[in-house]
Amino acid sequence: MNRIFNVSYYTFLEMVRNKVLYILLFFAIFIFVLGIAITQMTIGDELNIISDIGLGTIEIFSTVLSIFLGISLVQKELSLKTLHPLLSRPLSRAEFILGKFFGMILLIVVEIAVMCFIFAALLFVYGGIDRFVGYMPAVYTIFLQTSTIIAVAVLCSTLTEPAVAAMLTISFYLTGATSYNLVYAITSRTSETMAKIITALRYILPDFSHFNIKDNLVYGRGLDGLSVGFASFYALFIVVIVLSLAIIFFNSKEIN
Amino acid sequence: MTQPVEIKNVTKTFRHPMKVWDTIEAVKDFSFSVQTGEIVGFVGHNGAGKTTTIKMLMGFIAPTSGEISIFGHKPGNREVRYKIGFLPERPYFYSELTAMDVLKYFGKLSGMKGSNLIDRAEKVLRKVGIYNDRNRKLSGYSKGMLQRIGLAQALIHDPELVIMDEPMSGLDPIGRREVKEIIRTLRKDGKTVIFSSHILSDIENLSDRVLIIENGVKKSFGTVREIIQPENIKYSIEFGCAAAMKDSAFSLFKGIKVVSDRFVIDCENIGDFNSKLSAIVQKGYTIYDAKGVYPSLEEIVFKGSAEVGHE
Repeated sequence: MNRIFNVSYYTFLEMVRNKVLYILLFFAIFIFVLGIAITQMTIGDELNIISDIGLGTIEIFSTVLSIFLGISLVQKELSLKTLHPLLSRPLSRAEFILGKFFGMILLIVVEIAVMCFIFAALLFVYGGIDRFVGYMPAVYTIFLQTSTIIAVAVLCSTLTEPAVAAMLTISFYLTGATSYNLVYAITSRTSETMAKIITALRYILPDFSHFNIKDNLVYGRGLDGLSVGFASFYALFIVVIVLSLAIIFFNSKEIN
Repeated sequence: MTQPVEIKNVTKTFRHPMKVWDTIEAVKDFSFSVQTGEIVGFVGHNGAGKTTTIKMLMGFIAPTSGEISIFGHKPGNREVRYKIGFLPERPYFYSELTAMDVLKYFGKLSGMKGSNLIDRAEKVLRKVGIYNDRNRKLSGYSKGMLQRIGLAQALIHDPELVIMDEPMSGLDPIGRREVKEIIRTLRKDGKTVIFSSHILSDIENLSDRVLIIENGVKKSFGTVREIIQPENIKYSIEFGCAAAMKDSAFSLFKGIKVVSDRFVIDCENIGDFNSKLSAIVQKGYTIYDAKGVYPSLEEIVFKGSAEVGHE
C-alpha cells in the first residue's frame, strides 16, 4: 500500500509541476469567463446558464486532462526508460499500475477542486452560492466518469503508443457519451430483432448516462430515477475490470 | 553461501521485427556465475547481447530457456530487489522532480524512510558530485548530471549487488574517473558489481573478471590474464655484451634489433623464449630484461572481431 502511495504521490508531483496543466487550467478559466459573456446575450435564467456552463466546463476539462495525461502515463515511462529503475525496486508491476492510476486520480481531484472553487466564486457573484452544495452530486458523478476514462487511458497506455492510446480512449469516451441516445434512436427506427440486439449491446458498451445528472440538478428536476449509488457501483465495476486487464497485460509485457 | 548471480544455459529469442515468422537469438546458451565482492565487466559490440543479459538479470524480460538465479531466487523476486541497485543505459528521470525528490522516491520504494533516507540521500549526492544541485529540477540537468543521478538512485539503498549498463556513458573524463573511483569503493565495501562498457580500458582496469560477448555468444569469461590465449603473449629478451662480442651476438639469432647499446630479440612462443634465453646465458651475455608482454583487452577483442568479420 505504501509503495502504491509513493508512486501516486510522485506521479502527482511530476504532473502538477507540468506547465501544460496550468495552460489547461487557464483555458478552463477563460471558458468560465466566456460563459459569463454568453449569459449577457441570452434570454433565460442567468444562474441556470452559469451552472450549466460551469458544470459542463468541469466535465470537459476533467475529460481532456485525463485523456491527454493518462495516455502517456505508462508509455512515457517505457519510452524514456524511467520505468527500469522503478521496476528494479521491490515494486510489483500491479503496484506500479495502481500507483499511476491513483496519482492521476489525485491530480483530477485537485483540478476539480480548483475549478469548483472558481465555479463557486461565479455563483457567489451572481447571488446563487446556495445552489453550490446541491450541485455536489453532479461534480461527484463527473469525477466517477473521469475515473473510468483514466482507467481506460492507463490500459491503452500499457498496450500501445500514445497516439493510438489517445484514439482508443477518445473512442471509449465518445461511445460512453452517446451510447444511450444512439441506442434509443436506432431501436425506435428498426425491426424488433435488431432492436433487441442493439439493446443487448447497450449492456456491453460504456454508458455515461448513468453519470449525467447535472442537467437534472441545474434545472431542478431532482435525480429523477438516477442513482448516485448505482453510478458509484458502475464506475467501480468499469475501473476494476479495466485496471485488472491493464495489470494482466503489463505483467506479461517484456520491458525492453 | 549463495552466489549473487548464477546463469545456466540461458537463451533469449526475440520475434523478428520485420518477419513475424522469424526469430532472432539475442543470447545463446549463456552460463556463468558471479562471486560475492567481485567486479564483472561485460564487453561486446552494439547488439552483442550485453543489455539483453542485464535485462534478464533484472527480470525485465524472461529468458526463452535456461535458468537465472539472483541470490538464490528468480530475478524479479521482491526480497532480492532490496539487495539490487540498477543503473540503466542513458538514464532519464522525471524532468519536473529535483534530484532530492528522485532519491526520496526511490529510497522510499526500497523501504527507507525518515532521517536515515535524507542522510543517505545527501551522502550519495555528495559521492556522485551533484549535492549542490540537489534542489534543481532535472529538466535543467546535463546528460552527465543525469548519469550521476542515475548512479545515485542505484546506490541510495546501499545494495549488495550493483548492476550498471554503460555507467561511463555521457560522462566527461573527470566524471569517468569519479565513477571508476565509486566502483572501486564499492569493491572495497564488499559489494558485487556487474557493468557493461564499450570502453575496454575501463573494463580492463576495473574488472576482476571479464565476460566477452559476441553475437549473443559467450566468447570468453575470466580474468584478463585467463582470457588471453598463450599464443597472444609476446615474449622478448633484452641483452648486451662487450663491444668485441657484438658480431657473434648478431649471428646468434635472426631478427635481432639494436636499441641503444642493447640487443632485443622477440620470441614466437614460450618454448622459443626458453631456448633463446638459455643460449644467451650460455654465451655469457648480460640479460637486462626478459618478459612476456600481455596484449591489452582491446587487442584481444578487436583480434576476435576481425576473425569473425567485424570491423
